[in-house]
Amino acid sequence: MKKKTLTVVQPYVWLLPSVVLMVGMILIPIISVFKISFSEVGRSGLVRGLNGVQNYLDIFDEPVFWHTLQNTVVWTVVVVGVSTVFGFILAMVLNQDFRGRKFVRAVVIFPWATALVIQSVIWKYIINADYGSLNILLKKIGLIKGFVNWTETANSMFGWECWVGIFVTFPFVTFCVLSGLQSIDTSLYESAAVDGASFWQKHFKITLPLVAPSLTVSTVLNIIYVFNSFPIVWTISKGAPADQTHTLVTYLYQLSFTDGKGGHAAAVSVIGFVVLAVCASIYMILSLRGEEES
Amino acid sequence: MTSRRKPWQTALLYAFVVVLCVVILYPYFVMFITALKDKKEMYAIDHILPEVWRWSNFAEIWSAAPVFKYLINSLTVAGGATLLAIICGIPAAYALARMRFKGKGIFMGAVIMSQMFSPVVLLVGIYRMMVNIHLNNTILGLILLNAAFNQAFAIWLLRGTFVGISPEMEQAAKIDGCGTVKALVKVLLPMAAPGIITTLIFVFINAWNEYTIALTLISTDILKPMTVGINVFYGFNFIQWQYLFATSLFATLPVVALFLMIEKHLVAGLTSGGVKG
Repeated sequence: MKKKTLTVVQPYVWLLPSVVLMVGMILIPIISVFKISFSEVGRSGLVRGLNGVQNYLDIFDEPVFWHTLQNTVVWTVVVVGVSTVFGFILAMVLNQDFRGRKFVRAVVIFPWATALVIQSVIWKYIINADYGSLNILLKKIGLIKGFVNWTETANSMFGWECWVGIFVTFPFVTFCVLSGLQSIDTSLYESAAVDGASFWQKHFKITLPLVAPSLTVSTVLNIIYVFNSFPIVWTISKGAPADQTHTLVTYLYQLSFTDGKGGHAAAVSVIGFVVLAVCASIYMILSLRGEEES
Repeated sequence: MTSRRKPWQTALLYAFVVVLCVVILYPYFVMFITALKDKKEMYAIDHILPEVWRWSNFAEIWSAAPVFKYLINSLTVAGGATLLAIICGIPAAYALARMRFKGKGIFMGAVIMSQMFSPVVLLVGIYRMMVNIHLNNTILGLILLNAAFNQAFAIWLLRGTFVGISPEMEQAAKIDGCGTVKALVKVLLPMAAPGIITTLIFVFINAWNEYTIALTLISTDILKPMTVGINVFYGFNFIQWQYLFATSLFATLPVVALFLMIEKHLVAGLTSGGVKG
């Protein structure tokens, strides 16, 4: 009898350390954020008690919030979209046999492995209007006459942030697709060629369906990473000028840790949280379905 | 497909990869040459390369700021988080790979869900909690948080590795009188070594590159890791770019090297680790 209970309980004992770690460091903050979002929080961070949906109403009254939400959508769609298309094309190229392929693969790893904050600082230096190396370089090769202020408007600032976002995001797509491509049996292409399939037919009818699972994983994960990406925008503009270049995460950081509006920050967190939960559920359904199929 | 490539296609391909490599390596080139410039040259706008190559910048950073401390802090946080994530992750991954139990699906779902939530969205709650348990502004706090937020990937990668190894050897060991724990340690773990090393390095790199949690929780200069510490060279009106980039190089090159080592295993693990089950 004793032995039987032991075998029933055993799996849970094995899971215990992991569960304790995740509950303690992830679940408790989640609960706390929800609670704070419905509470009145003083500037010092003191929670004064529940105040219903007041924080949400306050946030909805802020034009900056709506602009930020719009930015977040643009940021996520542009960065993930361009990275996915470009990463995919690059994977097709790297799947070809050519001299120096190993070198190129190694180079593509660089942006993926570098800390985002460091990558962002370098780009901030590169695009500096007064002494940035992009101006110096372009002037040397004669493409520009005088120095250009690359980040004159909020839109150009945000555009550069998207560029850096794409720069660090596409390698993940490339490597996911490459791992999918390498599992494709080349005889499929040969028989398609025998049947007279064109280049485009081969790619749309054979390649795309077969790498679709890798592409799904990389797209969903990237949506989540990019949505949550804090260091790029924070390092390059901190939301400036006039809070025009925030995304949800930099906005909530500023609300909480610069403006002392913990309650509002928590409300923004919950809104971001709900958006992510929808993405996470889609991802979970997709990956558990993959699990059942095999 | 090589044989059927026409000359213009080959030319196009090389043009594409050359442009790509130049663009990708450009920021690293800028980081490198700027790290080697004299501070007088920093705002000179007529050359690309340094006039004087100041290799001594690499020696000066260590006394210009507590960079050595930052380095040790980064190592401690990344090393500690990696160990903790793997110690908690191995038994969980083992249970998921080898045992049948009620609630397994729910747990797997929770693991996948948890990797969706970046610390940034929870920062308000994390900060409050860490203040309450007096772990804000501590290295231990960073270790715990990094381990927790990497737990999902660790379990996922390890489980994929374990599932890919046939359980027969462990069963044989058990028949020979080994307990489950002994069979795991003596038989499965050595066979799973490549997957475990991949997981170790991946978690290490993530924790090493982490910025947001450390920025929020650490206020004492000598407790900062590299990613946050480099900000000391970034004053409001005075930026010491040469030191900033020299330090950044020290923070970047080791992890790029590690990443190059595991890239093959990692991608296969991330995209198909779960599906193999």
